[in-house]
Amino acid sequence: MNVQLTLAIRYLKGRKLRTALTTLAIVFGVMLLFGLNGILPAMLQSLQSSMVAATGQTDLVVTSKSTGQFDASVAATVAGVDGVAAATPMLRVPVALQPKKYPVGTISLIGVDPDSAVSVRPYPVTSGRFLTADDLAADRVWTGSGRNPSVTLPDSTAKSLGLGVGDTLEIPSAFGVTKLEVVGTLDILTVPGNDEAYVSLPAAQAMLDTGNRISEVDAAIKAGSDRPTVTAAAQKAVGDAYLTGGVEANSSLFASLKLGSFIINMFGVFAIVMAGFIILNTFRTVVAERRHDIGMLRAIGASQRTIFGMFLTESLVQGVLGTAIGIVVGYGLSSAALSGLSSIYSDLLHLSVGKPVFLPSTWILAIGMGVGVTVLSALIPARAAARITPLEAMRPQMGDVYEKVVTRRAWIGAAIIAAAVAGLVSRNTSVVGFSSVVFLVGLALVTPALVKPVTDAFGRAIDLAFRQEGALARANLQRNAGRAAVTASAMMVSVAVVIALLGTFTSVFDGFISYIDKAMGADFLVIPSNMLLSTGTVGANDALLREVKATEGVGDVATLRVGRAAMGTTSLQVIGIDPVAYQKVASFEFSDGSSQVDLAKLGTDSTIMVNGIFAAQNGLAKGEKLKLETPAGTKTYTIAAVGSDYLNAKLATAYVSQSELERDFGVTADVVIMANAKSGADKAASLASLKSTLKDFPQFALYDTKEWRDLQVKTFQQVYGAMYFMLFVLAVPSLLALLNTLAIGVLARTREIGMLRAIGSTRKQVRRMVIAESLLLASLGTVLGMLAGVWLGYSMVDAMNTVGFKMPYYFPYNGLAIALVIGMTFGVVAALIPARQATKLDIVAALHYE
Amino acid sequence: MAIVEAKNLSRVYGSGDMAVTALDAVSLSVEAGEFVAVMGPSGCGKSTLLNLIGGLDTPSSGSVMIDGRDIAGMNDTELTALRRQRIGFVFQFFNLIPVLSSVENVALPLVLDGKKADEANAAASDWLKRIGLGDRLKNRPDQLSGGQQQRVAVARALVSEPALILADEPTGNLDSRSSDEIAALLKQVSGEWGRAILMVTHDPRIAAHADRIVFMRDGRVVDDAKISGAESARAAMEKVGLL
Repeated sequence: MNVQLTLAIRYLKGRKLRTALTTLAIVFGVMLLFGLNGILPAMLQSLQSSMVAATGQTDLVVTSKSTGQFDASVAATVAGVDGVAAATPMLRVPVALQPKKYPVGTISLIGVDPDSAVSVRPYPVTSGRFLTADDLAADRVWTGSGRNPSVTLPDSTAKSLGLGVGDTLEIPSAFGVTKLEVVGTLDILTVPGNDEAYVSLPAAQAMLDTGNRISEVDAAIKAGSDRPTVTAAAQKAVGDAYLTGGVEANSSLFASLKLGSFIINMFGVFAIVMAGFIILNTFRTVVAERRHDIGMLRAIGASQRTIFGMFLTESLVQGVLGTAIGIVVGYGLSSAALSGLSSIYSDLLHLSVGKPVFLPSTWILAIGMGVGVTVLSALIPARAAARITPLEAMRPQMGDVYEKVVTRRAWIGAAIIAAAVAGLVSRNTSVVGFSSVVFLVGLALVTPALVKPVTDAFGRAIDLAFRQEGALARANLQRNAGRAAVTASAMMVSVAVVIALLGTFTSVFDGFISYIDKAMGADFLVIPSNMLLSTGTVGANDALLREVKATEGVGDVATLRVGRAAMGTTSLQVIGIDPVAYQKVASFEFSDGSSQVDLAKLGTDSTIMVNGIFAAQNGLAKGEKLKLETPAGTKTYTIAAVGSDYLNAKLATAYVSQSELERDFGVTADVVIMANAKSGADKAASLASLKSTLKDFPQFALYDTKEWRDLQVKTFQQVYGAMYFMLFVLAVPSLLALLNTLAIGVLARTREIGMLRAIGSTRKQVRRMVIAESLLLASLGTVLGMLAGVWLGYSMVDAMNTVGFKMPYYFPYNGLAIALVIGMTFGVVAALIPARQATKLDIVAALHYE
Repeated sequence: MAIVEAKNLSRVYGSGDMAVTALDAVSLSVEAGEFVAVMGPSGCGKSTLLNLIGGLDTPSSGSVMIDGRDIAGMNDTELTALRRQRIGFVFQFFNLIPVLSSVENVALPLVLDGKKADEANAAASDWLKRIGLGDRLKNRPDQLSGGQQQRVAVARALVSEPALILADEPTGNLDSRSSDEIAALLKQVSGEWGRAILMVTHDPRIAAHADRIVFMRDGRVVDDAKISGAESARAAMEKVGLL
């Protein structure tokens, strides 16, 4: 084995604890980067396979670019395209089933035209029969009562629902729960967890209150025809508002998952960079420890290159080891997270997820970052080691002449901070994000110059608890400001990121809660149980609204309806409101100089209101024209106002009057009902009556607003809990950094500690000196981090305001308190091992130590 | 043939008013197979002389020839190769690599010189056996006594078959019995195996094993006496006032 590799492995084995701690930092970063990146592709893959399953046996699929629904006549247009053998209209909508009734959470209700459907793809029957022309004829005149429409189920769905021919399937619909009679089962391949129910198209349209609209046209291509040619011809025939070739539904979901993937990568990269800090510090420690070894090796003939290679090999071994373990642990994390998420995923997206999926790019990223950052971080210490002359190495270590370097770096750091501050006040999210990183780099450069003043300031506090040892601890830190600064910087970056994120999250959450208090004036809320308005929600027809209005004690009522549109490649939801009724029960958070007066203009001359995030993302302003692809074709609206409601603040959303929603989107079903109680009415009694009215609409949940607010607060608190844990984990690397620095401090002062013990210091005093030093170091990092974090958090919230997330900045008092407590705790914990090391030193050996 | 030929060697640290002359125009030669001890009070320039001859430090003036080659014009790579191939070092604190076994420590100069591990280990084992540590081949430094560690260090200095061994206080960290053993070993290294040895020491008993004692004071050589045994060594030391 190569001498460098032999030495690397032996040294790593020789310092097991240090190796474990440093490797742990790499493991941690790689685990996050690799593990979290296994989750999203698994979700995307299940989404894609569900689409492939839905369209896999079909030659050509036509969908709306807006991902919404469109008129069924498009099927005839597709059927007329040269080369198309047959085309059939389909309406596919995910529907939530009654939770207590069936073991399946959601099911895709698919409306088909039995005649043309079988010409496009086969529907092999395993028992009973498929839908027939008779079903179609009967369902055309069906109005929700009198008879049970026929339904056929794929074998897998029938099995998971426990149903067979002759049984009844109950599905929530626009007019309450609809009973369907199972007439047959089909040998159709479905993705596990993606259950389907086939009814006739008129039955589905009636149940979902979609009028004569469909969600896709499936077509078969004539044998011998060229698929791309036919697809191009179909595209030309249907026009730009449609997409041909694949199902684009949920494309907005793809975008969300990709954004999630970016955020996760940022977390992972941050963790790895922190690991880099630790490795840098560790190798500085290691170089100092092995000064004599290096000197001896150089004396007996090791070249500079050999020494350089020795440290790089050591880092490489550690990087490879840490990355390998990180990948294994990351796989476990992915699997655990996916099994934890599967119920939420199945509820919200109606899909089941399998094993984690690791793309080649994930492997490259994890291995590249894990090994790359480790080796890169070791470069500087390795170079320093190689440059040590044998003579220097054999001599007792001298104090560093550091002053000039400190001053120069501090000035460079100050200039970088000034540039970053300019970016941070730019209010542009990308610039703010980049400037945040630059700001932290600048602060890290300034930190060495701050070691003395800050430790002097904290020294007084430390002296209270460590009267005899405080001054010594302070002097120890100040005489090696560079080493103290690297540790303090690592801690500062950790704390700053934690505080900035906490500040941002607190502002987002508290902002939402205060918005609920301010804007959700309604006493009762009827909302989809899954909280997503346009995905997987079956609305209710006006019969439910009438019943709600007629309920004893219910006063003003307003509803939300939802359609989907597209602006270029951007998909958005369009919500239909009655501006007058809406303002009686709730209010909007207006921006761009808009007000309620502007809102009242909705419904006249194709006017529209857009929410803040959509306006900011697309550079839209009040008074401008907005061209949207709607199920009724391209429509131009005038932006009357910019404003957001609570439910849709996070999604690209526009608001039109309900009459224009019906005209342009054909939507008349309500997905949210908000109602006020009459003054003096018995709210409990009204709530009970509403509950009874809604029992046939399992797709909805009924809340009184206070209860709903509490639920939201509870949800946020759960998220907070998870987030605090995540942030705590992110702070762990700073503990390792602290421990390393203290360990090297003890090592470098071995002889001095021996002297202290020789002249009468007790073991306890030595221990307290190391702890005091650690606390000073932790205070330095924590306080700088807190200051930087508050400022960064404020900048982020300010920038988010400019992109439409309207929220005031909430000072993260809790976060600061927690950071301080954790920082100081880390200070004590990190000191334990080095303090023990120092107290156990043999006095005579220590006095002879060079 | 002279293995070491130092002429008018000077070393000045610092400059101007702060200048300290550690070595002042020292000339010295050591023949092949000769065992030379350097003695003198602390700060007299003994270690500086050793470092300059070993190529670990650069002289302010003067020249050093090692094995017929002038080291003055050598760059770091050439000096490193010279140390690896022609000079062996023995230090006061042994300076063995703590994570390597005896045989691996001894083999290190050969491995660094590009020899195959098997070949290097075989040579290292051979040297360890010759110095009486055949039963300690696999032991790490922390499993050896001080004397044994210094023996390993001597074997490491010998393994690359150097012309010159430089020993800086090789017994400074050992008890008297171990010191005697090391001194005897060094005597064997020069007498039996023909290496030139330049050893810095404070210990008169150890210096008495040498063929010659060079006495230094204030950066200069004040005497250079050939000795043969303890008595003549004692006389030489008394002459310069060291005893």
